[in-house]
Amino acid sequence: MNNSAQKVSLTNIFLTFAKIGLTGFGGGMAIVALIERICVKEKRWLGNEEFMHGLAFGQILGPFSLNTCTFIGHYLRGIRGGIIAAVAFILPSFLLVTTLSWLYFTYHKLPQLQAALKGTNPVVIGLIVVVAIDMGRKQIKGANSFLMALLAFTATVFFKLNAAWVLLAAAAWSLGVSIYRRRYS
Amino acid sequence: MPALFTIAWIYFRIGLIFVGGGYVLIPLLNHIMVEQYKWLTLQQFLDGLALSQLTPGPLAMLATFTGFRAGGFAGALVATVFIFIPCVVFMLIVGRNYERLKKIDLINSTLDGLLPAVVGLVAAAAWNLGVASLSGVKEFLILAVGFVIFKWTKVSPMIVILGAGVVGLLIS
Repeated sequence: MNNSAQKVSLTNIFLTFAKIGLTGFGGGMAIVALIERICVKEKRWLGNEEFMHGLAFGQILGPFSLNTCTFIGHYLRGIRGGIIAAVAFILPSFLLVTTLSWLYFTYHKLPQLQAALKGTNPVVIGLIVVVAIDMGRKQIKGANSFLMALLAFTATVFFKLNAAWVLLAAAAWSLGVSIYRRRYS
Repeated sequence: MPALFTIAWIYFRIGLIFVGGGYVLIPLLNHIMVEQYKWLTLQQFLDGLALSQLTPGPLAMLATFTGFRAGGFAGALVATVFIFIPCVVFMLIVGRNYERLKKIDLINSTLDGLLPAVVGLVAAAAWNLGVASLSGVKEFLILAVGFVIFKWTKVSPMIVILGAGVVGLLIS
């Protein structure tokens, strides 16, 4: 599967993706840009075209930063390579978040921490609003998609439906539309 | 403390419908963890969101935080592993068959078609969390400043969250 003559070692894969996982602050596209620089440009593990394919498939399920790592690991060394890349990428964040969670649940009654978190709360909500607007401007084109977004919003806010069911219903609808369009166009 | 098996099953199912990027986890986890199982209060959920912005890696690490609350270190580990099993397995299958899959556009068109619903869900999460936790002029002012910074500057969320924490300390 790998075009280059010598195999990339599993240890090398682990260390590379652990480093990416440790330094990939900024999330999402910032991490993908870092992966591209290291794996495509510096190490020449895969070509730009393969990388773009991996990225495209990575948008389907789960976080695409993790998915891109899994894809490259698999490209290099099969299933074991993919799993090692995924674990290495997540491990630094996992250890950090676990430590922070432990600190938080141990000390969250401290008045100073309470006060600081009172400041972060509105900012987190502001961030979600920005994400909704930016995603909306990209994804909502025309009346149909606007109606779907509005229905999803209404269903969860006013009818208190479970977000998971709303998502499944939207997926079923979208799959139906895609199949219909394929057959009759 | 809930059984690890329960935690595994819950996060595995979330992993199966984890589409459209990390932000869809906010409505999903909020509903399941806060409203359904009551493992966290709304306040703790929001604090966890702030904490997960302070670390590298995807927003999905919010699963680690909520899993930690539900079952300690083992809970965090099980939650993280099981929420990522579906997408890792999916990518391994894709990697194996990707020469053939390249031509299949049904998956992509289905995904594109459901993204507006994700937008609606994320907006609903902002609404629900805001209504439940915001009160007072000061908080709306901080929200407005945060909004402007996130929308029109490229300052990293980590810096903004830390800054907001300092502001919170100063005005308390």
